[in-house]
Amino acid sequence: MNNWILQTEGLTKKLGGKAVVNDLNLKMEKGDIYGFLGPNGAGKTTTIRMLLGLAKPTQGRIRIFGKDMQKERMAVLRKVGSLVEYPSYYGHLNAIENLEAVRRLLGVPKSRIDEVLSVVRLTKDAKRPVKGYSLGMKQRLGIATALLGQPELLVLDEPTNGLDPAGILEIRELIKSLPREQGVTILISSHLLSEIEQMATRVGIITKGRMIFQDSIDTLRERAQSKIRIGVSDPEAAWKQLLAGGYQADWDRRKLTIDRAPNETVAAMIASLVKHNFSVYRVEEEGASLEDIFLDLTGGEGSL
Amino acid sequence: MIMRVMAAELLKIRRKMIWFLVVLGPLGVVGLQAVNFGLRYDYLTKQYANDLWGGLINNVTMMMVPTLFMGLAILASMTAGIEHQTNAWKQTLALPITRTQVFTGKFLLSVLLLFCSSTLLIVGTVGLGAALGFDLGDVPYKHLLELIYYPYLAIMPFIALQVWLSVLMHNQAIPLTVGIVGTVFSMFSNRFDDWMPYKWPYLDNAADNPLFSVAAGVVTGIVVLAAGTLNFVRKDVK
Ligand SMILES: Nc1ncnc2c1ncn2[C@@H]1O[C@H](COP(=O)(O)OP(=O)(O)O)[C@@H](O)[C@H]1O
Ligand SMILES: [Mg+2]
Repeated sequence: MNNWILQTEGLTKKLGGKAVVNDLNLKMEKGDIYGFLGPNGAGKTTTIRMLLGLAKPTQGRIRIFGKDMQKERMAVLRKVGSLVEYPSYYGHLNAIENLEAVRRLLGVPKSRIDEVLSVVRLTKDAKRPVKGYSLGMKQRLGIATALLGQPELLVLDEPTNGLDPAGILEIRELIKSLPREQGVTILISSHLLSEIEQMATRVGIITKGRMIFQDSIDTLRERAQSKIRIGVSDPEAAWKQLLAGGYQADWDRRKLTIDRAPNETVAAMIASLVKHNFSVYRVEEEGASLEDIFLDLTGGEGSL
Repeated sequence: MIMRVMAAELLKIRRKMIWFLVVLGPLGVVGLQAVNFGLRYDYLTKQYANDLWGGLINNVTMMMVPTLFMGLAILASMTAGIEHQTNAWKQTLALPITRTQVFTGKFLLSVLLLFCSSTLLIVGTVGLGAALGFDLGDVPYKHLLELIYYPYLAIMPFIALQVWLSVLMHNQAIPLTVGIVGTVFSMFSNRFDDWMPYKWPYLDNAADNPLFSVAAGVVTGIVVLAAGTLNFVRKDVK
């Protein structure tokens, strides 16, 4: 189990006496686009700050590229690019100068500046002061800055936050193209499942500082099992009838809901209702979206 | 590595009025003395008749120390403000450079900028003397350099202090207030004994040896810089 590119063990951060990140065991494999998902205030940014050495863990360990973050911070950070929360930039400088300021610290060749500018398609606007940029352009400059040192691991904290739909799409396409074109592993956080769903290969869901799900996106999708909804007269009596017959069901004022079941079971349930003189108006399949699962997992504190 | 940090720092202060202030400080001091000597030319040249250059240099340095106190507070605040504005700290500190290098870089930037100001003041003073018709062959260079670079060295603890406060606090009102109050306070510091750091840049001590003030300043400056660095290294970054 040593091919994890990033791994935390019992990572915990207490702020004001409260565990804002609690016993987190995050694991990423090389080549992953890891979607780090959770409602606002779940502890995503706090976790990412610790991963980058900006904040010290109260407890726990972080290993990146197999190296202990506490002991070999410089060696690790050389191969990590990051964008935390909102983009940092020097507004009075243009994009080239902004990148140059970071390039001087990284000591990479000057040609990287043109390369990353073209990756994020800012070449045309590169000579304008950054304070006049739109949020999407600033966000792209932030990603360009993160790419400057040719990182093996890219950490992006809510890179589409505050963007309009076109901007979101643009950033998403950019991020999806990176592992192919640049050979990087990506950790990307978001409070929007819909966004992560379209790019992530692995998902970690965090709420109230705790990781409640961590697996491949396909495993998460499998959880999105459909339910069957039955429109029926007198749902309460019908529900009791089904329970008496040994079936599982839920009801509310208008309808019954049953978990996905084999065809014969569904047929037998309907037959039993008809036999007992309930009027069956509708039998519908209701596909639970990932969003429902997310809401379910996070206790209704999700998004959208 | 520290050269790389300085190269980045120098790039970041472009178009920020910082170089303008570096020039404005010495220009203001020289300008005021130009007015002083211009208006009272006959009176002052008679008063300093046997040491014209010495008289001019004394007048210049009297104004220089408070200007230096004020200037270092403003420069430290502006150079830290460049990072505070969009919280660029988180970007810089996630790069493969140590926090010690980042903090030392900010300190050295202020040190460098004030060195430029001090040097400009030397040039400006000689220029003003020449314009006033003093003999350029008589310039007491050793005296002039000492009276300008010694206060600059003795003021090191305050450069370190203001850089520390400005880097630590997002709201620059507090470091600037400390700087302004300190400037005014320093002008009355001759009432204190020699232990008082605000007195050192005036090079005034019981032993009448300016090098004592310089030594105290440089040593204390290093101590304050070390304390600031230690604090910066331990701090979590937003
Ligand atoms: N300095 C602090 N003291 C106490 N609580 C804090 C502090 N900073 C952040 N928090 C809390 O930590 C939690 C996690 O914040 P954050 O990591 O920013 O969440 P996310 O990025 O997932 O939205 C929030 O509930 C926030 O209120
Ligand atoms: Mg956040």
